Amino acid sequence: MIIIGEKINGSIPAVAKAIADRDAEFIKQRAKIQAEAGAAFIDCCASVEEAVEAETLKWMIDCIQEVTDVPISVDSPSADVLAQVFSYCKRPGLINSVSMEGDKADKIFPLIADTKWEVICLLSDDTGIPKCAQDRLKVFGNLMEKAKEYGISPSRMHIDPLVEMLCTSEDGIAMNEEVISTIREQYPSIHITAAVSNISFNLPVRKLINIGFTVLAMKAGLDSAILDPTNRDLLGIIYATEALMGLDDYCMEYIGAYREGLIGPVNK
Amino acid sequence: MSKIAEIADLVGKGKSKLVAKAVQEALDEGCEPTAILNEGMIDAMAVVGDRFKNNEIFVPEMLVAARAMKKGVEVLKPYLATGATGAMGKLIIATVAGDLHDIGKNLVAMMIESAGFEVIDLGVDVPAEKIIECYKENEDTKIIALSALLTTTMPSLKDTVAALNMADFRSDIKVMVGGAPITQEFADEIGADGYSEDAASAATLAKKLAEA
Repeated sequence: MIIIGEKINGSIPAVAKAIADRDAEFIKQRAKIQAEAGAAFIDCCASVEEAVEAETLKWMIDCIQEVTDVPISVDSPSADVLAQVFSYCKRPGLINSVSMEGDKADKIFPLIADTKWEVICLLSDDTGIPKCAQDRLKVFGNLMEKAKEYGISPSRMHIDPLVEMLCTSEDGIAMNEEVISTIREQYPSIHITAAVSNISFNLPVRKLINIGFTVLAMKAGLDSAILDPTNRDLLGIIYATEALMGLDDYCMEYIGAYREGLIGPVNK
Repeated sequence: MSKIAEIADLVGKGKSKLVAKAVQEALDEGCEPTAILNEGMIDAMAVVGDRFKNNEIFVPEMLVAARAMKKGVEVLKPYLATGATGAMGKLIIATVAGDLHDIGKNLVAMMIESAGFEVIDLGVDVPAEKIIECYKENEDTKIIALSALLTTTMPSLKDTVAALNMADFRSDIKVMVGGAPITQEFADEIGADGYSEDAASAATLAKKLAEA
């Protein structure tokens, strides 16, 4: 499982305060604990107004790069900001994100075409977020055409089928499962990702919903996720699910995570 | 760290590829092949066995250690005198007639092999006649090890040991038994020479019986 650590995001009040105060230690600490928990990328989202977003992101990227070599997931809703900032990273990371809305993909794809950068692609377009699986897969088809045009291989793409909150869904995650498994079938080497905690908005004991979702989505074909890697229960379930799916030879990854103290009771 | 200590460390950690590489390097440096085998691998597996017995490691960790040792032995084999890998002697192992369980038996076979025995594994649901036949084809066998997992196959274990106890070669061999429902008392009662409760102790017991 490719874990994209979500803990450095300006939409989290404590992070917003640290950004406003330019509290580098706070950002560094969050980068460090996520790297230690095995994050493959550390997401970095400023969540500030666009005029100061690029400079804010640069400061945040500096903080992260000072304490870890884990590549950064540069997170902004603005393709212009992403284009401005990504090259500031010392090593290739992840662009978070593009979609088929406007000219986002057209702005980003050529910039990363000849690099090792990976990119999160949301399955939305100018009509918004399609309601049914068929329409989302249509957006996916258009996206893959565009990626091909610019020479971005599927193995560098993380498709986010856009998981919406369970509490207002009529069919649970059945539609998401269909989208995920269809994409997985078509492109075995592509990555499929999700912002796990979105699923549980407005429900009590969100942790339980997040865990159940992760297991089912992994079974459908999810192999990447934006989440808090320091959440031991969620991380533990991911290792357990990989072992149960036969992806973990001799359960050594699972045992290894336990030995490293990443999963299981804190005081063993 | 000496090359041999490094091999022992890698075997303990179950690093198959690195073990194979380190064994080759040790050979190139001029280490004695038998020292690589005994100190680098067999002793390392004994440590793994002890750690398993003490609940410090899990079954898969023991499995990958044995797999790593196997990889190392493959590299080492051409450099060893024939029979050096099975220097402790031959051991026949089987799950008794009527019992189809082999996970525990395989673990025991693996640990005993790692302790330096040449293991002949007859598989599961093995009648006494077949074991006796196998012994006759391998008269240098030192130990016959029998497994039964179910309370319902304990009588079969008893019958198998009884058949061996009647055999004319009985004084030339030792018989050891094990399996979840088996106890030392039961082993004594049916006339076996030894009992052990897990794979690691089985390897220790086999060594003890072979040297007795």
